[in-house]
Formats: sequence, C-alpha cells, structure tokens
Amino acid sequence: MSMDNLKISPALEKYMTKEYRDLVERGPYGKQKKVSEMGTFKEIIEEHPMCAGCAMTLFIRLTMIGLPNPEHTILVGTAGCGRLALSQTSIPFIYGNYGDTNAVASGLKRGLEMRFPEQPKDVVVMAGDGGLADIGFSTVLHSWFRKEKFTTIMLDNEVYGNTGGQESGMTERGAILKMAPKGKKYEKMDMLGLAKTANVPYIVRMTVTNPTRVASVVRKAVLIAREIGPTFIQAYTSCNIEYAIPTPKVIDDAKSLEAERYGFQEFISDEAKAFLESIEPKKAKATKSTED
Amino acid sequence: MYLVAHVDTSICSETACKLCTQFCPETNTILYDNDKKTAFVAVDRCKACEICVSICDTMAKHHAIKMIMITELENPFEMNKAGFNPAKWKELPETVVLEKVAK
Repeated sequence: MSMDNLKISPALEKYMTKEYRDLVERGPYGKQKKVSEMGTFKEIIEEHPMCAGCAMTLFIRLTMIGLPNPEHTILVGTAGCGRLALSQTSIPFIYGNYGDTNAVASGLKRGLEMRFPEQPKDVVVMAGDGGLADIGFSTVLHSWFRKEKFTTIMLDNEVYGNTGGQESGMTERGAILKMAPKGKKYEKMDMLGLAKTANVPYIVRMTVTNPTRVASVVRKAVLIAREIGPTFIQAYTSCNIEYAIPTPKVIDDAKSLEAERYGFQEFISDEAKAFLESIEPKKAKATKSTED
Repeated sequence: MYLVAHVDTSICSETACKLCTQFCPETNTILYDNDKKTAFVAVDRCKACEICVSICDTMAKHHAIKMIMITELENPFEMNKAGFNPAKWKELPETVVLEKVAK
C-alpha cells in the first residue's frame, strides 16, 4: 500500500463510507503522530469485536501509533485474539496459518525488497504467545537465525485466551487455568534469552503501563528492522477473562506484574544503536541501553 | 440499558492531562476537543470497561469521568452519526446529563 492507493478517486468519493473518508482526510498517514495527540486524529483501527478492557487491544492501538510509515507497512498475524483487531486496521493484514507467521513474513519481506528497491516496506508480525512461542516456534527462531529484516511482536497474555484457557509455553509456572486445573508444571519459556542467543539486535520486554514508551519502542523496532536485522518485542497484554481481572484493574494488574517479574528491559546492539543515532541524533541519546 | 463513560467537561477543561485518551483500549472512543480543551466520549463505541474511570481517579486524580446510564444522557456524541470531523464538533448540540427523577 502507498499514499496513492489510499486516496479516493474523485468520481467515487460519494460512494465511499464516512469512516474511510475521515481516515484519508484526518488519518495518521504521511505524518508521525504522537501518543499525546491521541483522540484528535482518526486512528487506523476501526471498531472491532475484542473484549471490553482488553490490554491487548490497548497495546495494538498504541502499536499502530508507533508505526513510522503505516502506509508502507504490512501486518502478518495468525489465529488468536489479536487478529480480531488487526483485521480491522486499514493496513494490509495477512492471516497466516497457525505456525507459519515468520516464514510468511520472511518471504514477504524479501519479495517486497526486490519489488520496491527504492521504498522501504515494513513487515510486522503480531501474534500471541501461542502463535509465536508454541506453534510458530520453529519459524520464529529460524527467521532470527537467518537475520530476516522484520519486526516480531509477541502479544503475551500467558494463555490460549481464544479457545477456553489452555496453558501455553509462556504461562507462568503454577498458574491455574480453566484447562490447566492443577496448575502449570513447567517454567515460562525464556523467549528473551532465545532472542539473545540468536543475536537479535533489538529485544524489548514491556507492558502497557506507559503508552508513550510503547509507541517509541515499536517505532525503534520497525526502524532497526529496516536496516540491521530482526527485532523482537515481548509485551505483557493480560487476558482479563481467563485470569479473571476486573476490567478497571487491568492497568493496575499490568503495573504490579511490571514491578514483580515483567519489568521493562531493552537490549540494543551497538550496530543498531549507531544506526538509530545516525537517523535521529537527538532522540537516540535518550535511549538507555540495559545491555550488560 | 447499559452504562457508558461520561466526562464532566467542566472538570476536564481545567486540566490538560489527556491520560484517558491514551489508556482507553478502544480507538477513537475517548476523543479530545482542542477548542474546548476537554475529552469526551463517543458513546456508541464505549464498551464500559471503566479503565478511564480508574485512570482519572487514581493516576490523574481529577475524578472527572463517571459511569452513567445511557438513558440519562441527552444528545450524546455518537461516532456513527457525527463521524470524525473536529471542525464540525462545534455545531453539535451539547451533551446534557438529565437530572434523576426525585424519589
């Protein structure tokens, strides 16, 4: 997609829906919007059927603000809660088979690089913990080892929320769920450690407690993925249904978990840091590396 | 009958925190009017999760957002009807909270 594809042909203008016309005239295309401007511009996502008060919805909403060029972005997803909102964005969304998200994204990114050598096209994989850490595990790791240049965002709700609450690889040990009544017996998978082993140049673990940070991290991840290599964001997006969190407490829950075991971590390679500094000299200084 | 979030514009217009617009999980639901300097809710999109209420009460400490029955609102803002067009928001009739019938 590009700006030309978005514009409405004058002859067809009266037939287009109000939502689409609003999006073209007052949408975020062509200009980077800030989190503080939210509510004053038409957002990329339309109405969607995700649950009330879902932290994943909030994270996806903030991700769409963080995308540096939404008009040159393609989303790849798979079965899971996230697709319900992702499919309602005015960004091309590819609904892959379960498990092949990063394989599809690898091919897509290489194809786009050949087809559009002048214009960088961003590919962003957004799927749940089940789609990336369990079923799509092999394609995720292989795409990292091959140094494929796209962003992988894991919406980690620590459960299969869509199918009735089965434990996933990312569920915390001992967590009791509807389909794991005796509690999970095994440890939570260390995806950050695996990403480090695969030498992913930009790895972040975060929650939704700081909207500005979510948008800036997504922006950095997408920019680094253009030039340097794969990037990975693991975001805690609680499932208020399966974990029985009252919706007004969703942000409080994210905060307490952030303090307990899901604190913000950012690993950035020297090469990626130098690249960020070269394109945004001022901003990159504020980036604090927590790399040991 | 269902609850929706309602922003007290007289309290909200005295601050400029905009936190509710950033923490609402739904898109274009809590909107911000730059002319009136206040947030307001598109009632047809609100799913009544109350995140904005807890943000306004505990994080911003303004206590400007309350959950209110949809039937107690007169002329609520509806995205389906009005569309996203800040220039025309001025022309819309003001949302009024109907007084509860005295018991």
